[in-house]
Amino acid sequence: MPWKNLPDEIAHHLQDMYDDLRARGVSDEAARRAVAAELEGAAFDRPLSDIRGDVRYALRALRKNVGFAAVVVLTLALGIGANAAIFSVVNAVVLRPLPYRDADRLVVIRDNLPASGLRDIVISAVEYLDYRARNHVFDEMAAYDTTAFNLTGRGEPERLDGAVITASLLPILGASPALGRAFADADNQAGRDRVVLLSHALWQRRFAGDPRVVGTLITLEGRGVEVIGVMPPSFRFPDDSIELWVPIAFDADLVSENNRGSRSYTVLGRLKPGVTIAQAQADMNGVTGTLVRDYREQYRGGFSTTVRGLQTVIVGDTGRGLFVLLGAVGVVLLIACANIANLLLVRAHGRRKEVAIRTALGANRARIVRQLLTESLVLAAIGGVCGLLLAVWGLDLLVAIAPADTPRLTEISLDRRVIAFTAAVSMVTGVFFGLAPALHAARVDLNETLKEGGRTPGSGGHHRARRLLVAAEVALALVLLVAAGLLINSFARVQDVTPGFDASHLLTLRIAPPPATYTFAKSQQFFDELFERLHARPGIEGVGAVNALPFSGSGGDRSFYLEGRLDPRPEDRPDEQVRFASAGYFAAMKIPVRRGREFTARDSIDAPQVAVVNEALARKYWPDGDPIGKRLTFSRQDVKWYQVVGVVGNLKHRSLEIADVPEVYVPVAQPLFAGPSPRPMFLVVRTAGDPMAAAPDVREVVASIDPNQPVSNIRSMEQRIGESLGSRRFTMLLIGVFASLALVLASIGIYGVVAYTVSDRSHEIGVRLALGAQPRNVVAMLVGQGMTLAAGGAAAGIVLAVALTRVMTGLLFGVSATDPATFTVITAALALVAALACYLPARRATRVNPVIALRSD
Amino acid sequence: MQHIKQILDRELKKGSAELLILSLVEDQPRHGYDLSKLIEARSDGVLKFRVASLYPLLYRLEKRGWIQGRWIEKAGQRRRRYYRLTPTGAQVLKSQRSTWREFAQAINRITGIEPA
Repeated sequence: MPWKNLPDEIAHHLQDMYDDLRARGVSDEAARRAVAAELEGAAFDRPLSDIRGDVRYALRALRKNVGFAAVVVLTLALGIGANAAIFSVVNAVVLRPLPYRDADRLVVIRDNLPASGLRDIVISAVEYLDYRARNHVFDEMAAYDTTAFNLTGRGEPERLDGAVITASLLPILGASPALGRAFADADNQAGRDRVVLLSHALWQRRFAGDPRVVGTLITLEGRGVEVIGVMPPSFRFPDDSIELWVPIAFDADLVSENNRGSRSYTVLGRLKPGVTIAQAQADMNGVTGTLVRDYREQYRGGFSTTVRGLQTVIVGDTGRGLFVLLGAVGVVLLIACANIANLLLVRAHGRRKEVAIRTALGANRARIVRQLLTESLVLAAIGGVCGLLLAVWGLDLLVAIAPADTPRLTEISLDRRVIAFTAAVSMVTGVFFGLAPALHAARVDLNETLKEGGRTPGSGGHHRARRLLVAAEVALALVLLVAAGLLINSFARVQDVTPGFDASHLLTLRIAPPPATYTFAKSQQFFDELFERLHARPGIEGVGAVNALPFSGSGGDRSFYLEGRLDPRPEDRPDEQVRFASAGYFAAMKIPVRRGREFTARDSIDAPQVAVVNEALARKYWPDGDPIGKRLTFSRQDVKWYQVVGVVGNLKHRSLEIADVPEVYVPVAQPLFAGPSPRPMFLVVRTAGDPMAAAPDVREVVASIDPNQPVSNIRSMEQRIGESLGSRRFTMLLIGVFASLALVLASIGIYGVVAYTVSDRSHEIGVRLALGAQPRNVVAMLVGQGMTLAAGGAAAGIVLAVALTRVMTGLLFGVSATDPATFTVITAALALVAALACYLPARRATRVNPVIALRSD
Repeated sequence: MQHIKQILDRELKKGSAELLILSLVEDQPRHGYDLSKLIEARSDGVLKFRVASLYPLLYRLEKRGWIQGRWIEKAGQRRRRYYRLTPTGAQVLKSQRSTWREFAQAINRITGIEPA
């Protein structure tokens, strides 16, 4: 294409003309006038005639400088790709509607019992029936609870996560079985509840996808249950782990007034069309108001419900962390934009001649800006496409490292919304990094440009713009680095928290003897025999069991009465975490016994009842006295005293981050009430070597006692603690990666500005050196200028960080959002990197040969 | 008078511009400024090409494959684009020359102007 030569050829032409005229003795002014006259009336602007032409011209211009285009596209692809990937997660987890019919009308109702300090708790079957009968705002309501079931009788026994649900649940969600039938209301009646729906995954895994499974009997919890259907593969409720659904049996006991306070169900409602959550809340306030009047005794401490959108409940706190990540990755893109804008400014400077001539040939300023902006947009579009490809790959990585408890993890994918987001981000990015350089480049004077000849020092404005951009980069990078620093600091502090027991060499697993085949006594025999046989195995140093293992997500509180304080006001009634532990549990966990003793085999059902409390509970209820010998009971009607025989150390139960809670331990062999059923337990096994290596041994021993007894949830304790830190690790890792990227980009920016200054001022530097300046002083001057820039950026960054890291308060642990130590260390680290980025190009200045530098003038 | 000169200039250039360029690059490759200077000098200032018409013309000829431009950097000089005649261009020049000659002779015979 000959046209691409136009600017250069005309430039040379005009310069030849000017030189000729000057050589013939024409004055400078007259020569310039003649040159200008030569261009008069010229208005051929052919290559710039339309958008298509603009794009073609832009592609050509970029082809001429492939290195530049590659650097820009790569920077953009990384920045936009990271944004697209994080946005995909935000989109799938937070923004995309839940995969249920009328998902925006689905709400969760939970109880609040202010007197007991209980908020947002599950609901009893009796209350569910009341809500359903008394509300005016819901089309339909449903209740469910998650639990686990032993599947036996077909191959290896297995413990499966499942849910007990009301028949109304599936219709509310708009779901129906892919095979067989859904539950009918009759299935919720006692005695008719022996039916089950299988998940698609379970059907494939355990039943080889056999359609004849419908109508067959399987053994769940030792009872024969009929398979009535299989759900479609896409159906997941309430979460991904659930593999089967059975109906809640509303038997006389469950719906009796005695059980108004036995809360275990989550209640869903579907709002009538047009009803808002606020209206539903108001209606439910009315309902609870009538219940408080009708059942004064049960609700004497006050009672209310909270109505919230199902999506809000499912997403929970995950949203905040994700939006922080999205903000961080957006900042990385901003920094990338600043770097690209910087490159474009340099490039624009080198293209002043081309722009000057085009201006002279009749293109007005808007025209030039449009052309240059088209180039930026073309770059941004290419970068966006590459970024989207990177995101596809990055998303797999992101899902792989995402914490397992991230809601809706399996729904994460690139959809149309992500693509639209990426396209929009790319275009905004293109304008963002392209506009200032384009405006800047379009402001040129033909005569000035031509007169400059070979040596072309940057204009003041051009330098100022570049320096401002780099300072902004430093400021933004500092914000991200501080955020990363705070998170790393928090993570280290969380990891430093001791859980209160020795988590190493500890194998943990769940064993739940089914009530259909096990009485309480038989289950006790089972565990006694299990402990005995395990103790005999080599490499096993300790065995114990507890109903609620730390870091297993299980636990539960109970109210009790202290001896001598049998009639407290309701709000003063002790209500604490109660655990049921076997003999040997504290030793196996290495939970320190501070006073007294732990449980032994002698603490049997016939022996006097005993209890162990932790230090937090001892301090709360006997702040001045000795808890040993004190007694407590769990029932006022049927008083059975449990005597405190030991005090053990506090431990972290749900997470390393939550403060120690008071705990009461009761021997599992000494049940609280008459007629106990067997209790599902977590087994803890202390091993000499790798705990997971002992798992097959434990399975074998269990099978040798009862081949139908599954074990499940097999994990080392360290794995459990690691999982509890999963989301913290994820956020820290990503923010760390983004901050590193930001640091690299910002140092490239600083390097670029200093390097450019060196080459731009090589003449001046040459003069200085020729006049006897020490190279050392020249380097110091250049580094000083670069560092002034960095310091300005850092100062702005600190102010920005103080303002912005506040949003992270909920993600921090043990450090404040304005932790001076973190700010100091990060600023110092940034200064160090900035100094290096200044020093490297500045050193080159000392190699400027004064003679050559002067001659090039 | 000035007006007539402008019309003459334009009409003549329209018909003869291609011939002028092809003739000038016949012996040796030349760059744009060189061409414009030569045209102005050899016509004693009667013919004058401004950049706005010269370069589009050059590109048109180049696109047709009659001339070929190449950037050449000579020692001590600015980098310039030199145009040389291609074999196709040589043939076109030959035929345009004879057409022009016949045309000029015909005009001369009619107007009674002696051949130069």
